[in-house]
Amino acid sequence: METKIGVFLCNCGGAINNIDFDDVIKKVTKFPGVTCVNLSSDLCLEEGKKKMLSRIKGENIERVVVAACSPEFQGHILRGVLEKAGLNGHLLSMANIREQCSWAHDGDVTEKAVELVKMAVNRVRLLQPVEKKELPVNKEVLVVGGGFSAISAALQLSRVGLRTTLLEKEATLGTEGLGSFYGFDTGSMVSAVEGDGNIEVLTSAQMTEVEGEIGDFSVRIRKEGEEVFRKCGVIILATGYQTELALDSEPKLQAEGEAISGLNIVSQEQLCRMLQNSSLETEPKTIGFMFDFYDENSRFSTMATLNNALAAKKKWGSEVYVFYKSVKVDSEGIEKLYQEARDCGVVFLKSEVPPRITVENGRVNIKAKDVFLGEDIVLACDVLVAEELYLPVEGAENLSSLLNVRRDSRGFFQDENVHLYPVASERKGIFFIGGCRGDLDLGRVLTDISSVVMNVYELLSSGKILVEAEIVKADPQKCVACLTCIRVCPHGAIQLVRVDGSKEVAGISDLACYACGICAAICPAKAIKFQGYRDEEIMAQIEAIGKSLNGRNVAFCCEHSAYHAADLAGKLRLHYPENLRIIRVPCAGQVDVFHILKAFEKGAAAVLVMGCEDGACHHITGNTRAKERVKYSEMLLKEVSVDGGRVRMFNLSPNAPHKFVKAVNEITKIIKESGR
Amino acid sequence: MIIAERKPMEEIKQMIAPYKKVLVAGCGTCVTVCWAGGEKEVAILASQLKLARSAEGNEIVILEATVERQCEREMVAEIKDKVAEVEAVLSLACGSGVQTMAEMFEDKPVFPAVNTTFIGMPEKEGLWVEMCGACGDCFLDRTGGVCPIVRCAKGLLNGPCGGTRRGGKCEIDPEKDCAWVLIYRRLEKQGRLDLMRKYYAPKNYRAVKRPGKVQAAKA
Repeated sequence: METKIGVFLCNCGGAINNIDFDDVIKKVTKFPGVTCVNLSSDLCLEEGKKKMLSRIKGENIERVVVAACSPEFQGHILRGVLEKAGLNGHLLSMANIREQCSWAHDGDVTEKAVELVKMAVNRVRLLQPVEKKELPVNKEVLVVGGGFSAISAALQLSRVGLRTTLLEKEATLGTEGLGSFYGFDTGSMVSAVEGDGNIEVLTSAQMTEVEGEIGDFSVRIRKEGEEVFRKCGVIILATGYQTELALDSEPKLQAEGEAISGLNIVSQEQLCRMLQNSSLETEPKTIGFMFDFYDENSRFSTMATLNNALAAKKKWGSEVYVFYKSVKVDSEGIEKLYQEARDCGVVFLKSEVPPRITVENGRVNIKAKDVFLGEDIVLACDVLVAEELYLPVEGAENLSSLLNVRRDSRGFFQDENVHLYPVASERKGIFFIGGCRGDLDLGRVLTDISSVVMNVYELLSSGKILVEAEIVKADPQKCVACLTCIRVCPHGAIQLVRVDGSKEVAGISDLACYACGICAAICPAKAIKFQGYRDEEIMAQIEAIGKSLNGRNVAFCCEHSAYHAADLAGKLRLHYPENLRIIRVPCAGQVDVFHILKAFEKGAAAVLVMGCEDGACHHITGNTRAKERVKYSEMLLKEVSVDGGRVRMFNLSPNAPHKFVKAVNEITKIIKESGR
Repeated sequence: MIIAERKPMEEIKQMIAPYKKVLVAGCGTCVTVCWAGGEKEVAILASQLKLARSAEGNEIVILEATVERQCEREMVAEIKDKVAEVEAVLSLACGSGVQTMAEMFEDKPVFPAVNTTFIGMPEKEGLWVEMCGACGDCFLDRTGGVCPIVRCAKGLLNGPCGGTRRGGKCEIDPEKDCAWVLIYRRLEKQGRLDLMRKYYAPKNYRAVKRPGKVQAAKA
């Protein structure tokens, strides 16, 4: 018995006025399995939804197609209607006959509308239900680090009832020097930690292995020569940073003559210690500072300099000169501090290039060309607080490979991808806070800490997380354990698991999976099934374009970028050729070479693969994979004398409708000129 | 495992030129893992051939099947019905699989669509490197687990040739690591450098019997 399909059309209150709905209804009613076709003018309103619900229930409809506005608008809500009717929310397929049909083209678009509905009907016939499941999670948190951020996070987590293990590689907790200098006493914080029943402290301890995923991490730790194991639901990295004087090595600051580092040329921390040293021999009468020349990520140096400059002025009454390239005052409280420093008599000297440093007769000479005076200034001072480079900790690379997370181009944590929330990594359940993220700024550190505590609380407090069960799954019968998906998953969500007591296959974690489909596309055994985007579901859409595929251009549009841009093009009434058929995919990386070739085999004139801009893929590597596959497809097509130029990759942002239209026009022109 | 690489398209097309109905048969073991002949590659090749022959005006009907291991008679037997329907079989399995198929279906031409290249491992996803030459006389115990027969350009058995380039690279192929440098460093880590001082007689290649046979003790 055929599955009963209900098709619900909407003319958008009359805003869709270039489609002959009578014709559509007539044709759609003839599609196999369609038992109900309903035309509404207000599916987005309560009334319209009520009518839809009653028809679904009354006529025992098993699959639903909605042909109306973009799924981005009401898709979620319509799934809710299905659930109310007792159907699984995933048994819905939508045809975008408004933004991507009626509004996108001139003149009558009935034929395209019918085809779009057919594509949706073909797909919906094959859709499988996806159940929601609650999976238990380990509520414990592992915080790697022992400084201000780590300790603060542990204390706050304890306050919200979560148990934490602090993992510190040194023998003691706490932040030296600068910690107390910034007005927070990590000493008392450390005592609070030691007295807190919810916090376990492991010092002289380092991670050696991490397995598992969010809700279920297993960590192997080496503590003083012994192995210790811990399990946790979330891992927070708060490993901090290190600084290096930009001194004495090419191409950094070159001090000529005798540079006695530590005596005349010091770091901020050393100056702090001098300020705190009540038995200091000689108080420096003239102090020079420099910053923002070698490292433009200078918020930290700015704050340190201003604080230290003021402290030196107030404590010693020294003359203080600050050499800078620019004073960046965008951190909280800095502008006020800068003003205070100037009011106190700290002299600021702007220079375009780093000053030349020499040491003579126990004094440091700083020579720089002041921008405002247009003249060289030479300052002889007792102490120079040199510029410091702000660097990732030693072992950051090791940590990153242990946790299978990427770092940015300077080696700090968190990939330079715009879609990652400030404290998040590309893997669920792994977070970064504080100095290890780079660009240390006290205000931002405090926000990091509260942010991560909130995130973790939301994830773990109930002890379970709701997931869509097995939306992407590797079939253990077909999986050959080639490990490709495990290596390729940008979110570290796949592990080798044992089934039937012995065979090892790929296991995709429901908790950690982002449902991007990159694994499904790359699996050489076609073992991975991604509900809603399986090969048969993609093919069903391609085949619906059917005999009339000749002269059709098929565009695989990523839902994070191109699909949205196409919608916008419709909203702005930017017209493009009507022969484009869009297939919505969760990520350009889910488009397989197989899909591209099949589209051509079925007669497509051209295939476009459209994904996010470089460096901005929601799934980090999806658009790069897509690009490689398009190139590979080009080669495969050339091998069989099909013009390789008919398959193209386009990168665009979701708010770039003009780029979308330009791409479509470009491909259409190429096809026309090739004479097909 | 066994690493194979798809043959040039021209060669494949020529093999099946006279046939109008062909089965493309994949293998679910080694060639799946090295992306040369699994179910996906079968589908892609089938698609390409259909496109190619269509463009030439010489349509072809292609059936697809993937056997778990094409070198096992029992498994190959599972697709005998499909084989019966076609004029020829294009196998994406290694040479062992192709020959098993050819033996099971003697009346049907069975063509190899891949070149079986070597026994190797993935250096990273998508890149396989040769590791073992199947010489039948393994002496990896003496070389710290690095095989100079395969990984040394000259197949030397008793230390480097003396032409090792800076950075431990091979004299002949500067992209390659000198196998004997690798061996030295490995033995050094294990404190077994004394093995480097031992002399080993040249291998007796004449003694290599082909085709090889291994008889396991009866279970």
